[in-house]
Amino acid sequence: MAVGKKDISCPPEAIGTPIKDEDLKKGKVTYYEDYPDLRYAWTAGQAISRFLNELKKGRLIATKCNECGRIMFPPRIFCELCFKPIDDWVYVKDTGVVQTFSISYIDPDARPLPEPIIVAVIAVDGASPKMGIMHVLGEVKPEDVYIGMKVKAVWKDEEEREGAITDIKYWKPVG
Amino acid sequence: MVFNEKIVNPTELRHWEGKIELYWVYTSGSAGDEFFKALKKGKFIAAKCKECGKVYFPPRIYCEYDFSETEYVNISGEGTVRAFTVARLDKDEKPLEKPEIYAIIDLDGTDGCIVHLLNAKPEDVYVGMRVKPVLKAKNKREGRITDILYYKPS
Repeated sequence: MAVGKKDISCPPEAIGTPIKDEDLKKGKVTYYEDYPDLRYAWTAGQAISRFLNELKKGRLIATKCNECGRIMFPPRIFCELCFKPIDDWVYVKDTGVVQTFSISYIDPDARPLPEPIIVAVIAVDGASPKMGIMHVLGEVKPEDVYIGMKVKAVWKDEEEREGAITDIKYWKPVG
Repeated sequence: MVFNEKIVNPTELRHWEGKIELYWVYTSGSAGDEFFKALKKGKFIAAKCKECGKVYFPPRIYCEYDFSETEYVNISGEGTVRAFTVARLDKDEKPLEKPEIYAIIDLDGTDGCIVHLLNAKPEDVYVGMRVKPVLKAKNKREGRITDILYYKPS
């Protein structure tokens, strides 16, 4: 936080007044702090609502467009290529192929994690090519992951599922 | 099957709740710090340009017209209502039991103003009304703008 005098030439008023964390803690300088309560609700829409409800039953659902023949996953209500409403719901498998992955050593607040997590985009079997979801991999070491690896979903117990993407605990390698 | 059909079972529709974590600290700056420390002692200060004589409130460390330095001067804190608004809803749009009046007050001896709460009846307030500040008890002041409880007619 402290910004000291740099080795540059400038008028004294442009240097600024360095402040340290302890100046705030000890009340040496006046300040105002706030912790805004920023809450939001995201409405899932028809397709994702059904997707979430099906997750609770331990199934993955996609939608199909009869014009281009694509099976779209995660499901959407409108085909963005044919520009028309989709025609049917179809179930897809809970297995897939790793399309890309990233090894993360920090959590969403940028704090170090005790164990790295592997996030991956998984193309789900039964859906059209390049249709995938982002999820986390488990039961695999970071050095063993590769693009093209076959994975299978590991689900929570039925009574623990709540209709959320976290109803799948992680995806583990198969074969 | 057509999928842009009407939603027949709204209970199947889902929504997702989230919270954005945000925490911030805003330091008052050099002149602001001086002002709030003076306020804690029950005094009001402004900043006068050494060159053109313009008096800034809230105080600033230099003049924005001629870029010359300013010096702190004591002011009374009293002033005149320039404009006001009567709020009947709080910030969450819930009705207030008693309407609150927020006023822009031109402070005596300065070219600046303060926006603050005005403790008066809405029907009695007028532009040009003379007002003075009411501060918190000395031991409860924290060096914040809320150390001024409100302004009242003088």
